[in-house]
Amino acid sequence: MPNSSLLLEIRNLHVGFRIFEGHLRVLAGVALVVNEGERVGLVGETGCGKTTTVKSVLRVLPIPPARVAGGEILYRGRDVLRMHRHALHVLRRQELTAIFQDPLQSLNPVFTVGSQLRDIVRDSMRTPEGRALSRREIEARCIQALEETGMPDPDRIMSNYPIQLSGGMRQRVCIAEALSTTARLLLADEPTTNLDVTIQDQILRKLDRLVDQKGSSVLMITHSMGVVRDLTQRIYIMYAGSIVETGPTRQLLASPKHPYTQGLMASVPRLTGRGVSEGIPGRIPNYLEPPPGCRFHPRCPHRMPECSVEAPPMFDVGADQRAACYLYRRSSS
Amino acid sequence: MAKYIGLRLLQSVFVLFGLSLLIFFIARVVPGDPARQALGLLATQEQVERVREQMHLNDSFPVQYYYWLRSLLHGDLGVSSYTRRPVTTDLAQYLPATLELILFATLISFIFGQVTGVLAGYFRNSWFDGASRLVSYLGIATPAFVIAILLLFVFSQVLKLAPGIGRIPIMMQAPPARTGFMMIDGLLAGRPDVALTALKHLLLPAFSLSVIHIAQEGRITRTSIVETMQKDYITLHRVHGINTRRILFKYLLRPSIIPTVTVMGLDFAFLMSNAFLVETVYMWPGFSRYAMTAMLNKDLNAITAVVLVIGVTFALVNLIVDVIIMFLDPTVRLRQGGA
Repeated sequence: MPNSSLLLEIRNLHVGFRIFEGHLRVLAGVALVVNEGERVGLVGETGCGKTTTVKSVLRVLPIPPARVAGGEILYRGRDVLRMHRHALHVLRRQELTAIFQDPLQSLNPVFTVGSQLRDIVRDSMRTPEGRALSRREIEARCIQALEETGMPDPDRIMSNYPIQLSGGMRQRVCIAEALSTTARLLLADEPTTNLDVTIQDQILRKLDRLVDQKGSSVLMITHSMGVVRDLTQRIYIMYAGSIVETGPTRQLLASPKHPYTQGLMASVPRLTGRGVSEGIPGRIPNYLEPPPGCRFHPRCPHRMPECSVEAPPMFDVGADQRAACYLYRRSSS
Repeated sequence: MAKYIGLRLLQSVFVLFGLSLLIFFIARVVPGDPARQALGLLATQEQVERVREQMHLNDSFPVQYYYWLRSLLHGDLGVSSYTRRPVTTDLAQYLPATLELILFATLISFIFGQVTGVLAGYFRNSWFDGASRLVSYLGIATPAFVIAILLLFVFSQVLKLAPGIGRIPIMMQAPPARTGFMMIDGLLAGRPDVALTALKHLLLPAFSLSVIHIAQEGRITRTSIVETMQKDYITLHRVHGINTRRILFKYLLRPSIIPTVTVMGLDFAFLMSNAFLVETVYMWPGFSRYAMTAMLNKDLNAITAVVLVIGVTFALVNLIVDVIIMFLDPTVRLRQGGA
């Protein structure tokens, strides 16, 4: 996409966690890009480092035990990891926002919805002239944000405590919180995984429309192929702390190239056709002593000698599609 | 909310009823004839019998309990065999002194415990966290009376920064006891100098008593601050750009303070009966010392009264704590169906 401008770029990000047993090397050189106005999916199994990636971008990883061992996270060219505290505050207020996986954990239980929403709007929004919002403006913005998520009776919801709301309602509140301000990049970490299937669809549709209206960019984390297919233009497939394949969503899902992506597609249960899917033998590696080279090689049906020596770089495997696998070495050069 | 408070009050009544049964049982089961004890060895058997009749000692236990409870509710707790005064008179004199002391100690431990706990939790693994941990362990390990003696020696004897023992100097005339709290009585009598002196006298014993509680409550607050800081909602408050100060003092503090409030209530009731060593060191004419003296002298009526007072305090403090928590934590309030 040559005409779109770069919003977020993660370069070669390495993040580890120090625990009692040793050093968990979780992220091993994550690299990804989100352009202005683009919706990008980040897909992978539980425990592959998706959430760690998002938390690194937001700079909310608990340090220690977490440790950023290397890499850069550039937001409009400025490195988030080396930003000063004040600049980071400004960035969070004006540019970044997030929705997390568990709506039951995402709202402060001892304050009303209104209290939390008002403080977000009060502290992060300014009028075009740079003035703080008046009490009435804050109230109006909060109500509007709740209404936009399709919440019935926003006035009443404002005075409710989270415990009085269902999971779906709480996630709507979380969406309202995330989209109440003028943030440009939404990091959505499995925003519907913990909801009932019937609610999932509603919430996603709503989120989809809202993001469209505001023209925000989205980095959507999920392990659901259905969600990425519907909501994103480009995806990254992640395995054990690094990106193994990327490309335009539909194209990549139609012809996955990396053996892991192929396995992942095969394990998606289908409503039609033969019974239980095959899946991938083995499981996600131990981060204390990850396999050398390509971290997928112990589970890979096509492994070659060099796979266990050095991690493969990205090779072009199609139009805008790239995979980190030695199978495609020839096509690259 | 009113419904919830009413419910808790009702529960307290049941607890107190149970307590009164227990105390009655203890008072009646102890060997010895109360009538004989009251009259002394020289009384004739006939006189004793008459008094037994007056004291309803020949009636069945439920009837006896009824009469005992009736006199209790009329404020008649009998006469102390040690002080030779009505127990209620003793209590009116000693109880406010201790209440003043431990209320002050509770206040000190709340303030210091919260401040150190919040700072240590917020700046986890910093030098302050390490230092406060070390000092806390020292504070928990050192008995209060040792601290009392040390403080008395250092601040009163050596540095002469604080007055020594008692509630006010012997030469100073005490204001009329309206509340029994020397500071408040001083103010009520229009004698701010007395109030100030009383405050100075309170500082050392109250601090001695509060050290262990500062340490414990500080540790508890630290733990819950650390726990709360790891919650998704705090992370999201930060991501959404809420002021750091607002997050600390509003969103982080309120959920974190709840466990400490519970412990504070228990600590308060604990001090009622465990302040006697510190009271002894500072010659504090308090309830805790009175209780100890009563036990050492087998002063039955006084012991009964002491147990009763401690029990009532326990029930009352727990009630207050529950109401405070209800205000702090809406989940409790909503679950109890009070809203």
